[in-house]
Order: sequence, then C-alpha cells, then structure tokens
Amino acid sequence: MLAPDPKTEVWLTTFRRHLRGLKPEDIDEIVAELRSHIADKSPDNPEATLAALGSPQALAAQYLADDLLARAQVTRSPLHLLKSLFRWATLSIAGFFVFLGAIAGYLLGAALIVAALVKPFRPDRTGLWLNADGVSIRLGLTDQYLRGTELLGWWIIPLGLIVGVAAIMFTTRITLWFTETWRRTRTWPHR
Amino acid sequence: MPDPESPDKWEVQLRKGTLELAILAALWNGKLYGLEILRHLESASDLIVSEGTVYPLLTRLKSLGLLTSQWVESDAGHPRKYYALTPAGRQRGREMATLWTRFSATMTRVIAPLTPPSGKDH
Repeated sequence: MLAPDPKTEVWLTTFRRHLRGLKPEDIDEIVAELRSHIADKSPDNPEATLAALGSPQALAAQYLADDLLARAQVTRSPLHLLKSLFRWATLSIAGFFVFLGAIAGYLLGAALIVAALVKPFRPDRTGLWLNADGVSIRLGLTDQYLRGTELLGWWIIPLGLIVGVAAIMFTTRITLWFTETWRRTRTWPHR
Repeated sequence: MPDPESPDKWEVQLRKGTLELAILAALWNGKLYGLEILRHLESASDLIVSEGTVYPLLTRLKSLGLLTSQWVESDAGHPRKYYALTPAGRQRGREMATLWTRFSATMTRVIAPLTPPSGKDH
C-alpha cells in the first residue's frame, strides 16, 4: 500500500472536494490515478510532483470543463449545461463569466418564448415596449399600465418564438465555444 | 496591442493541439499508464508536457471512446491505470496522422520564405 504522505492527502482531499458534481465513480478513479501518479513520480519528494500538478482547484476546473464538453455531446439541454457551468463557475473566474453569460442568454430566450405564448391570452399586457424615456426597453408580461410604445404588436408571436429559440441555441453554442477555447489555451505550470 | 508573451502562448496552444495525436501515437504499440506516457513523450520529443494537461486529456479521450483503461497491480505496491487504444482510437489516430502530414507539408511550403536555405533538406 501507499505510505500516506500528509501533504499529498491534503492535496487529494481538496482536489476531490472540487470535483464534486462528477459521477462518484469517476471522481474515485481520477483521484486514484493521481494518487498512483504521485507515488510513482518521485516517492521521496511528493511535494515536487504536487507543485507540477498545480493547484487542486485549477486542475479540478480542467476536469469539470472537460466533463461539461463531453456531456454536451450527449445532451444540449440548457439545464444540464447550466448545472455543469455552475460547478465550473465556483472554481474559476472564466467559468464564472461564462456562467453569467449563459444565464443572461437563456433568460432572454425564455422571456421571448414566454411572451410569444402568453400574447394571445393577455394581448394588452404582453409585448416589447420602448419605455417613455425613449432609451430602455421592457420585454414580457406586466401588470402595470405602461406609457411606453409597444413595438411589435402581434408580431411578437412569430418573432418571439423564432428569436427566443435562436437565442437559446446561440447561447449554448457560444458557451461551448468559450469552454473549449478556455480548455485549449489554458497554460499549466511546467517544471 | 503587442503582447510580449504571444509567441509563447502560440507555442503552448500548438503543443496542446497536437498532444492528442502524440498520445494516440504513444499508445500505438501497446498499453501504457499515465506516467509512462509522459516519459515516452518527453524522451521521444522535445514536447514539454505537464501532468496537469495529460491526465485530464486521457480522461477526455477515454470518455470520447478513443481509449480504454484498466487497473493493474504493480510491483510498486499500488495499482496503475493503463490506457490502450480502442478501434475508434486507432482510426482517429490514423486520420489525424494523415491530416498532420498533409498540413505540415503545406506549412513547410508556406513558410519557405522565412526559413534560410541551407544544405540540409527542407
């Protein structure tokens, strides 16, 4: 058996914690592989190996981003993507901003689709308004009487559906593109 | 904006982009575990590869179905995770090697004006 080295164990425990969200059996396997690597690489000087591996948090972020891309090949569900992104966002600044961007894109898409679907039932309260200030716009459903200009009228039904679905698809694509680019350009500590 | 680091960054991206092919090639003759792959790449080339890059990539290649893995007990007293190519991995390796050969031949022609002529072949 491996002689437990306290620093290695602390590193691996932190690493394991940051992998949370992957399948438990995958986490076990990844951690076991790195434990075996650390024991093989320089049994007398595990600290050097840990330094070469970098921070447990950064390495875990790499695994999570890879997992996100692998899952995206199976399902493109925004909910799955957001769940993976959320875990990645807790580990890296890049992940955080990609997560925010994805939330904004999906919310916009969802708002457009909801507006299109609700318009036939609440035509006077659903739409895209140019507010009275002439600058800001307001989209969706409101209970207030708005003094702005309604821009789309019934056009919000086809446009909301088309643009809403397009916004969601575009958000997914751009999110995966950012993740892939981040993964590819990530530099790593070299010895 | 000039970025003094950019040549290095370009090199890092280039190395990372080709690492997948290098790993498939390293496994061409049989199964290896992670550290053997790292050492093989370092001895066979001047590719400076870090474990922080190779291990996630191995996991990714496995999840893409290009590699399989198997835990094997070792004399060192702990198991090691050996990787081997799947048929899909062999096919992907061949395809990538063909693309790489074609691409590098093209690039050699393209960059000919930048490289001084010498007695050696291109």
